[in-house]
Amino acid sequence: MSKARVIQAEWQNDTVSFSRRDFIKQVAAGGGAAIILGNLGVLHLSSVMAEQAVTYRMIAVDLKKCTGCRTCEAVCSAYNHKQKVNGELLNGLGNPHLTNIRVHGFNPDVDIPAVCAMCLDNPCIEACPVKPHPETGRRALYRDEKTGTIRNDLERCIACGSCAEACRAERVGIIYPNPETNKPERMCTLCDGDPQCVKHCPYDALSYMEIDLGSEFYGKSPELIAEELARRWYAIDGKEGKNE
Amino acid sequence: MSKQGQGYHGVILDIDLSTGKTEKKPIPIEDTANFVGGRGLGMKILWDRLKTPGIDALSPENPLMFMPGPLSGFPVPSSSRTCVVTKSPRTSAIASEYPQASTVSYSNMGGFFGPEIRFAGYDGIVITGKASSPVYVFIDDDRVEIRDAEGFWGMGTDQFDKKFTEELGDRRFRTCYIGPAGENLVSYACIINTAARAAGRGGTGCVMGSKNLKAIAVRGTKMPTVADHRRFLEVLEEARNGFKGTESTMRWRYAGTAGALPWSSGRGSQAVKNYREGTFEEIDRIGYEAAREKAWIRDFACYCCPLSCKKSGVVKTGSHPGLVHDGPEYETGTMFGSNLLVSDLGGLLKEIFAGDDYGIDIISAGNVIGFLMENYEKGNIDKAFLDGIDLTWGNVDAVLKMIDKIAYRDGVGDLASQGVKAVAEGIGKESHKFAIHVKGHELAAWNVHVDPGMGISYVSSNRGACHLNGRTLEEQNSNAMIDSTGVCLFADYGFGEMSLQNLLTAVTGIEWTKEEYLKAGERVFNLEKMFNFREGFRREDDALPDRFFEEPLTMGPGEGAVLDRGEFAAMLDEYYEKRGWDPKTTKPTKAKLESLGLSFTI
Repeated sequence: MSKARVIQAEWQNDTVSFSRRDFIKQVAAGGGAAIILGNLGVLHLSSVMAEQAVTYRMIAVDLKKCTGCRTCEAVCSAYNHKQKVNGELLNGLGNPHLTNIRVHGFNPDVDIPAVCAMCLDNPCIEACPVKPHPETGRRALYRDEKTGTIRNDLERCIACGSCAEACRAERVGIIYPNPETNKPERMCTLCDGDPQCVKHCPYDALSYMEIDLGSEFYGKSPELIAEELARRWYAIDGKEGKNE
Repeated sequence: MSKQGQGYHGVILDIDLSTGKTEKKPIPIEDTANFVGGRGLGMKILWDRLKTPGIDALSPENPLMFMPGPLSGFPVPSSSRTCVVTKSPRTSAIASEYPQASTVSYSNMGGFFGPEIRFAGYDGIVITGKASSPVYVFIDDDRVEIRDAEGFWGMGTDQFDKKFTEELGDRRFRTCYIGPAGENLVSYACIINTAARAAGRGGTGCVMGSKNLKAIAVRGTKMPTVADHRRFLEVLEEARNGFKGTESTMRWRYAGTAGALPWSSGRGSQAVKNYREGTFEEIDRIGYEAAREKAWIRDFACYCCPLSCKKSGVVKTGSHPGLVHDGPEYETGTMFGSNLLVSDLGGLLKEIFAGDDYGIDIISAGNVIGFLMENYEKGNIDKAFLDGIDLTWGNVDAVLKMIDKIAYRDGVGDLASQGVKAVAEGIGKESHKFAIHVKGHELAAWNVHVDPGMGISYVSSNRGACHLNGRTLEEQNSNAMIDSTGVCLFADYGFGEMSLQNLLTAVTGIEWTKEEYLKAGERVFNLEKMFNFREGFRREDDALPDRFFEEPLTMGPGEGAVLDRGEFAAMLDEYYEKRGWDPKTTKPTKAKLESLGLSFTI
C-alpha cells in the first residue's frame, strides 16, 4: 500500500482502502476500472492520467446515515433559487422540483441522494459540441477552475442535451435539460463554498470533502447503488425476501 | 383574513369516479381560515358533501379525501402528513334511527404524499363515486387521468409498490394504494404508501376499495406561496433548531415508537392477552434492543423530518430469516406481539409484513385475533369455528393463517373482517364484555386499567377508540389542530411555545395566537362531534368495555389495577361540562357552537 492518501468507502463494513497512487497506476495500466469494482463506470482516461491531477471538494454522501428525509432538496432549492421579495433577495421556499441534489427512494428501503460528482474526467463537458472559446478554452459547458463545479454558459449553449445524455449514460445522471429551454440544469453549485445540504442535513449524512475516487459508489447512478445496497443490506438473494 | 393564494392554492382536486369527471374546485376562503387544512378542512368538506345522516360509508357518495395542511410542502420539520378523511365504515351507534349510522373517520399517514399534492397545485384531493372496474388516479400537475388498474388488482402492497413505480416510470411520483384487504372490503383495510407507512385506522382502505380505486399517483412542480416570506424563513430556522441534538430527537432516532414497548409494558399500560393484562413478561424479546440487534438495518424518515422514527430491517436470525420489512413499532409490536403473546421477533415481523402487504390495520387485526384467541381458550368457540386453525396464544403460524383468512374474507375471516364488535355478536356468550372497542372501532395498543386518562381519550374520540385523541380537551384541541396543519403529532415537542403558530401566521397571513390556534382545534373537534351527533351517537356510545371495570390486572407493576365505574363516569361528566356539551346526550350547546362559528350545524 502506498503512503499516499487512503480513501475509504461509504460504509465501514465494506471499507475499501485505496490510494490515489494505486488508482492512477491501475488506470494507467488499463485495468483500473475493473480492479476498483467499476467505481468510475466508463473511464475517460485522459483527464485522470496525471498523478498531479487537480482535486476538488465536493458533496459526499454517507449512505448509511441518510434517512431519505429530503431536507437537502429543500435547502438546495431555497439557496439556489432565491426570490426577490419587497426589493430584498431572499432564499426561496424550497420547492424540491428545483433542487440540484435529489433523493431517490427505493423498495426495499434504500435512499440515494444523487448529486453532481464533479467527475475529474467530466464526460458531460467532453460531450459538449460547442467549440472551445479561443481565449478561455471553454465550451458552453465548462468547469469553474476555482470551485471545480460544472457550469453552463447560457449564451453559448445550443441546447442539444448531449451533456445530460452523457451524464445519464456514464455517471450519476444528475444533469437535466430544462423542459422549456432544453439547457442543462442541476449541476451542483456548492452554494458559494457553504453547501446548504451539508449544513442542514439533520443526520450529518452529507460532507463537503475532497473528491474521493476510491469511494466505492463514486459517480454511479442511484439505481446501481440502490441495487447493490439492497442486496448487501437486506440479503435478499437466496433468502426469503419480503415479497415471497 | 388571508388573501387568496397565501399559504394555499385555494383549490381542491375533485374527482368523480362514477362519471370520470375531474375538476378543480375553489375552496371558500372562510373555510381555510376557519378549518385550516388536513383533518379540519376535510371535516368541513365531509359536512358539506354529506347533507343527510345515515349514508352508507361504502356508497359512492361518501367522499374519500386526501388532505395535506397549510404547512405541507414547505420544508418545515415533520410537515409530512396526509390526513385521510371520510365517513367511517367501522363505527356504529347503539340506538341510532339510521341503520348505516357511523362516525367521521380520519387517519393520518406520513411519507411524501401530502407535500406532493401541494406541489401538484392542490390543497387536497376529494374522491367520490365508484369506478365500474379497477382504476388508479394519475396526477401530474394539472394533468389528471383515471387509468385502468385491472392488471394490478389482487396485488399485495409490497409488490404493487415496485410494479407501480415501473408503470409510472419516475420515482418522483408519490403514491398510495390498497392491498387485497381493501379490494375485498375488509372493514379495517388501510391505505399504504412506500410499502411501509399506513393511514391505518378507521377503514380508509375499505372505502377506497369500495370505489374500485387501487391507487393514486401524484407528482408536481409547483409551490404554494407564503404571506410573509422573510418571517417564514426566520421562524423556519428557529423551528429546525428546536429539534437539533435534543434528547427526544435522539430517542426517536434510536428506537422509534418501539421505545415505548418496554416502557409501557413496565408500567402495566400495554395491551397484553386481549387487554387482560398490561405487562408482557417477554417484552424484551420483541423490544427495540432486540430489534436493533436482530433486525434493524437503517432509520428512515418522512419529508423533512429530523426524527426518522421508522426502522427498516431484515430478520437476521431465528424464524423467517431473510424477511425484509420495517418494524416493530409500538402499535404493531404490541397488537401482533404482546397482545397475542407472540414473543418470536422473526414471527412478529412476518405477521407485520403480512398485515402491511394485505393492507389491513394491524391494530384492529391484532385486536380481533386476540379476541378470537381468548374465546378459543375459554371454549366459547372451537376449532371448527376457526376453520381448523389452532388459534392458541403465541402461535405465529395460526396468526398468519388468520391474517390470510381476514384479508380474503375466507371462512371465519369473513366475520373477523367486520371487526371485534361483529365477532362478539356472532359468538355471543357474554363475550361482548371483553370485546375491546368503542363504537365498533377497536382500541389500540394502550391498555387503560392503570391509565383512566387513556380511557377518556378512547371514549371521547370522534372516530371511535383512538389512542392519539388526547386525555384532556386541551390536548384534543391541540391534536386536532396539529392534524390540520400537516405536521406530525410526534414532532409537536420540537416546536417550542409558539413556533407552529408563528409558522402558520407567516404562511397564511392570519395572525395565529395560541388562543386562536386552540380554538380552531376546538372548532374542528366540535364539527366532528356534530356530525356524529346527527348520526345518532349519544352518551351511551362513549363507553369502555366491561373488562376494564370488572377484571383487575393480575400481574406486573399494575397488578390489581381496575377502573371504577363511578369515578370514570364522573371524569366523563367533567369532560362534557368543560366541553360545553350536555352530559346526558353529549350534544354541544347552542352557545358553544355559535361561539365557534358552527351555527351552520345547528
